[in-house]
Amino acid sequence: MTAAPMRMRLGPQPGEEIDRSRSFTFSWNGRTIAAYAGDTIVSALAGSGERVFSRSFKYHRPRGLLTASYLDPGCILQVGDEPNVRAAHRQAAAGMDVRSQNTWPSLRFDVKAGSQLLSRFLGPGFYYKTFIWPRRLWPVYESVLQRFIHAGQVSPDTPLAAADKRYAHPDVLIAGGGPAGMAAAAAAAQSGARVMLVEEEHHLGGHLRWGGAADLAALSELRDLVAGMPGVEVLTDAVVAGRYDDNWVAVVRRGLPGGAEQLIKARVKVLVAAPGLIERPYVFHGNDVPGVMLSTAVRRLINLYAVKPGERAVVLTANAAGDAAADDLRRAGVEVARVVDARSGGDIVAVRGHRRVRSAELADGSTVPCDLVVTATGWTAPTALLNMSGDRPVYDQRAARFFPAELPEAVLATGGIAGDGSRDQLIEHGRAIGREAARRAGRIRRDWQAALPGRTVLDELAVLDEPAGPANGSAGRPSAGAAEPVPVPDLPVDAHPELFRGRTHGIVDFCEDVSSKDIAAAIGEGYDSIELAKRYTTATMGPTQGKLELVNTIAIAAQAAGKTIAETGTTTWRPPYAPVTLGALAGRELEPVRYSPMQPWHEAHQARPLLAGAWVRPDHYGDPAAEAINVRERVGIIDVTPIGKLDLRGPDVPKLLNLLYVNKWSKLGIGRVRYGVMCTEDGVVFDDGVTGRLGPDHYLMSTTSSGAAAVWEWLENWLQTAYPDWAVHVTPVTTAYASMNVAGPASRDLLTRVTGGVDLANEAFGYMEVRTGTVAGVDGCVLWRIGFTGELSYELHVPAAYGLAVWETLMDRGQDLGVAPFGVEAQRILRLEKGHLIVGQDTDGLTRGFSAALDWAIKLDKDDFAGKPELAWQHDDDSGPRLVGLQPDDGSVVPPEASQIVEGTGVGGTGVGGTAIVGRVTSSRMSPTLGRAICLAHVEARLAAPGTQVTVRLPGGRLVTAHVTEHLAHVDPEGKRMRV
Amino acid sequence: MSENHVIARSPIPPAAPVRVEAGWEVSGCHSDAALTITDCTPLAKVHVRAPWNGVMAKTLGVPFGRAARDSGGLLIGAGPGEWLMLARPGAAPDLVSRLEGTAASSAPEEFVSVIDLTHGRALVRVTGGQAADLLASLCGVDLDDDMTPDGTAFRSSVAGVATDVIRDDRGGPRSYLLHCERSSGQYLFGALTGAGEPFGIGVDGFLAPGI
Amino acid sequence: MIQIRCPWCGLRGAGEFRYTGDVRTRPDPASVTPQEWRDYLYFPANPCGPVVETWYHRMGCRRFFTAERDTATNEVWTLEEGMR
Repeated sequence: MTAAPMRMRLGPQPGEEIDRSRSFTFSWNGRTIAAYAGDTIVSALAGSGERVFSRSFKYHRPRGLLTASYLDPGCILQVGDEPNVRAAHRQAAAGMDVRSQNTWPSLRFDVKAGSQLLSRFLGPGFYYKTFIWPRRLWPVYESVLQRFIHAGQVSPDTPLAAADKRYAHPDVLIAGGGPAGMAAAAAAAQSGARVMLVEEEHHLGGHLRWGGAADLAALSELRDLVAGMPGVEVLTDAVVAGRYDDNWVAVVRRGLPGGAEQLIKARVKVLVAAPGLIERPYVFHGNDVPGVMLSTAVRRLINLYAVKPGERAVVLTANAAGDAAADDLRRAGVEVARVVDARSGGDIVAVRGHRRVRSAELADGSTVPCDLVVTATGWTAPTALLNMSGDRPVYDQRAARFFPAELPEAVLATGGIAGDGSRDQLIEHGRAIGREAARRAGRIRRDWQAALPGRTVLDELAVLDEPAGPANGSAGRPSAGAAEPVPVPDLPVDAHPELFRGRTHGIVDFCEDVSSKDIAAAIGEGYDSIELAKRYTTATMGPTQGKLELVNTIAIAAQAAGKTIAETGTTTWRPPYAPVTLGALAGRELEPVRYSPMQPWHEAHQARPLLAGAWVRPDHYGDPAAEAINVRERVGIIDVTPIGKLDLRGPDVPKLLNLLYVNKWSKLGIGRVRYGVMCTEDGVVFDDGVTGRLGPDHYLMSTTSSGAAAVWEWLENWLQTAYPDWAVHVTPVTTAYASMNVAGPASRDLLTRVTGGVDLANEAFGYMEVRTGTVAGVDGCVLWRIGFTGELSYELHVPAAYGLAVWETLMDRGQDLGVAPFGVEAQRILRLEKGHLIVGQDTDGLTRGFSAALDWAIKLDKDDFAGKPELAWQHDDDSGPRLVGLQPDDGSVVPPEASQIVEGTGVGGTGVGGTAIVGRVTSSRMSPTLGRAICLAHVEARLAAPGTQVTVRLPGGRLVTAHVTEHLAHVDPEGKRMRV
Repeated sequence: MSENHVIARSPIPPAAPVRVEAGWEVSGCHSDAALTITDCTPLAKVHVRAPWNGVMAKTLGVPFGRAARDSGGLLIGAGPGEWLMLARPGAAPDLVSRLEGTAASSAPEEFVSVIDLTHGRALVRVTGGQAADLLASLCGVDLDDDMTPDGTAFRSSVAGVATDVIRDDRGGPRSYLLHCERSSGQYLFGALTGAGEPFGIGVDGFLAPGI
Repeated sequence: MIQIRCPWCGLRGAGEFRYTGDVRTRPDPASVTPQEWRDYLYFPANPCGPVVETWYHRMGCRRFFTAERDTATNEVWTLEEGMR
């Protein structure tokens, strides 16, 4: 397909950023458009004579170019499967599929434009007023409103494009690569600072890029200076999205392959805000007709992209930028029909036209036919980074814009945001700010370095040489941090007429289609605070987020309220300053996952994985009930590597155990294992496990899998803050050992075949004892004889690198004994049959010790232990629920866990009811051993006596009866099976 | 039976070809990439605890935050009063008795403990000019020479895992040893190779079992 | 994210630490009343201004240390000196 000719393209311009030797085409609403490398999507479209790019939000008015920059509100387009692309910023690429958004059926014939006729119904707050009542009709309203959504389309098929995040630690980060920012970067680097220079556009240079020959010469010099300066990292097409506490700065790099963005988290010593100024639109009737543009838009189009913005222009100018735009237009062969000088009272009253400008009505009463109206009526200072640094910028009426007020030590400002002045003055200011930034950063860096370990202590120990000079050839920073503050020259502040709205009403917020009339109406309705008026009208709440329209909004609200701008104040800029993709915020998925050494075996044997905390564990291998039966009848092996293990050494370990467990530990003999429960200081059950004594001053503590990290921290907390004199070393060894529980009547037979150095006979190695020895050829294994499952069982802790080998040996050597693996689910069945509680399952964040049936363990005659006061009081007042065993009378009904236990059978025996909740089921399973449902439950203490009948409400409301059992254990309450 | 018959395995599955080196299953592959990652888990890892400012600390001679080589291997000041000694595979038992002997002779009054953590930790080495760039995508600590020069040790979050990071250039290009809990080793290795893709990272086998 | 100055490791992002509460004296369990004990457990002073609190450097040196922090400004300065 042939591309439309580039009929608005000019001859080569001195500062153009297009490469005429590389041209290509892309698609625009199905048509073929030619572009040069370096073109933005919109500059290419404008070069082909396109003037309308979108329809406005509420009234569906045609919208064209306004700023020719990232902010351009009428140039937000769909590119392929990517919605909301800022097309006056995004560079065109060959084959792009570019479409307009918010149009139906087409950009030219948009039926929704009929809503223009309804504009008097679409006034401020119309969402709030119109669609609220009757509430039941909201779904209807919603479906209608969805057709009006001002956004592109998201494709569910878009491949994930996640760029890794990056941490950066520049001494000085400069937000903005205009002349002042570039000068600051070079000066800071020259002073020895590591500098990150972040520029939102594709090229450094700011307004010098569209300036005259002298500007271009200065730009070329600055670019060379920055490029030749070691220690400056330049990021273009990147934006500082936010500044947070302690100069934690978010930088977003755009335009990575696949449309991805990268989030850089920078800890910055000194931040320099150099964002320049944003040209402010002027409000008058027709100010959104395609062909009304800002002076900077015209200058960008002509000088950067060699695009002629129109044929016949009227220029409203209040400053040098407007004057320069008129000159640029003449040079580009545009007929400048009239230059209206606002400095001497000239004004535009209205622009006529719909899809394009037809004429401009001027304050002198004349009407000038034209297709281009250019305004240069002032600047907005983008003070976002200053606001985020705690500053409250102040309005200067003489200059008609806001200025920084009081910046923290680690934040500086330069360039247009700090004042006006000549090009040389801005560069000089930037240079001084850069040196001052480096000085302050040097001081901060020395402070941070001094806080690092292994510095001054080196002298004391006198064993290592401080690395002499820069290592690995990195540049030294000799002059960084000169002592005296750098004198920073003041930038002059030029007078500028206050021009916000002319003699007529027009659009203030081009994104949200909010007019000056709407803002005045909101004030009239009583929304006289700027924060309220903003939310009510939605002005400044669209994609440009106030960058173009904030000051006009404030000025118009002030005028309507009869106040000054300073009295009206400003709304607060919050992060992010610019849109950030969710992909950039998400980055690579970094969710730590932990695996046992036996994981390859589990995967090879069709284990169904269970994610338990960060651990991947086998839930079961196909039939958990059969796995449980196999443990009861033969022998099973479960991988319990995630069980927390802490190596405890030192003479004071018994003190620690006595302090943190509710039971007594002073007399644990070598080779013995004891079960212990820990409570927090509020008496709530926190963790449980067994601890074994391996040697005189050597213990191995086990914790629950999920509690391993918290218990370690709990121990360290007591040791470091309360008892620093105790000689105890705690070392986490959870995965130093591969842990496996060999359980079942044949477990001793199996282990006897592979164990060396340990007599496994019952008399030699009894229940609740620990031994160390050799298993399957591996030395240094710890065996403890405990019985979570209720069977004869040995928990093996094997040096982890041999875990898989030992597991495979056990499976191989136990074949004739019927050995089979069992998973977490079978273990849960087995322990419930045995009535062993699981902390966090059968207890919750309110369960104090006596509520967990731990009366036998809690030793209130100990002097002190964590949680003792609360447990003593619970013992005295007998408060709180009780953990009991429970069996539904109908053994085929397994009440789901968390089913309520209720009292009261409802009105008239209807079965509906249960008027009071008196407990809940904490664990329930069908017991394969007993062939009936079994539970653990919390009930009020008065219902805890064995034999008490209670009522359980099933989901759906059905009530079933159940009886409290004599023991927590449903199987082998005497514990004979574990002791054989 | 003795240990020698049983193959020790790292938590990080070895890239083919697999061979046995000092009783450990290791990868025998070789990469010429400018940035490489090596599973060094087979190295002996011995953990020492002692008062940070006592006689044993002075005898060991390496303060918290630094790492230094001696004849036995690499001694790392891993924490306040906490040291990690890395040595050739299989050296752990000798190292433990040597360090216990040092404690007994030079600091008999001090509470010192020595634990072989070879099985409890995973160890990975990343080497190349861009090693710091790779690490900067997963770790928030400043890796500039000014802050963390060669011979620095610190512990921080790497890809969300608490990790000992030791800058150990060995006189060549930048190189970092990363030491974390064993069960997180496979995840950490995966995170590093994933984040290393843009840098063209290559997996290098454990061919020179020295430290 | 604010930075916390660990007396051992230097400045690190607050995400590496766990805040474990302001520094208070544990009442004597032998003589404490329920009211005193629960005040200790559940009612920190929570002032607007400087507060002395305990932090745990869970991702770093794993030391507990005390730091003074101004709750109004988040300015943190460490009270305990480490190796320096």
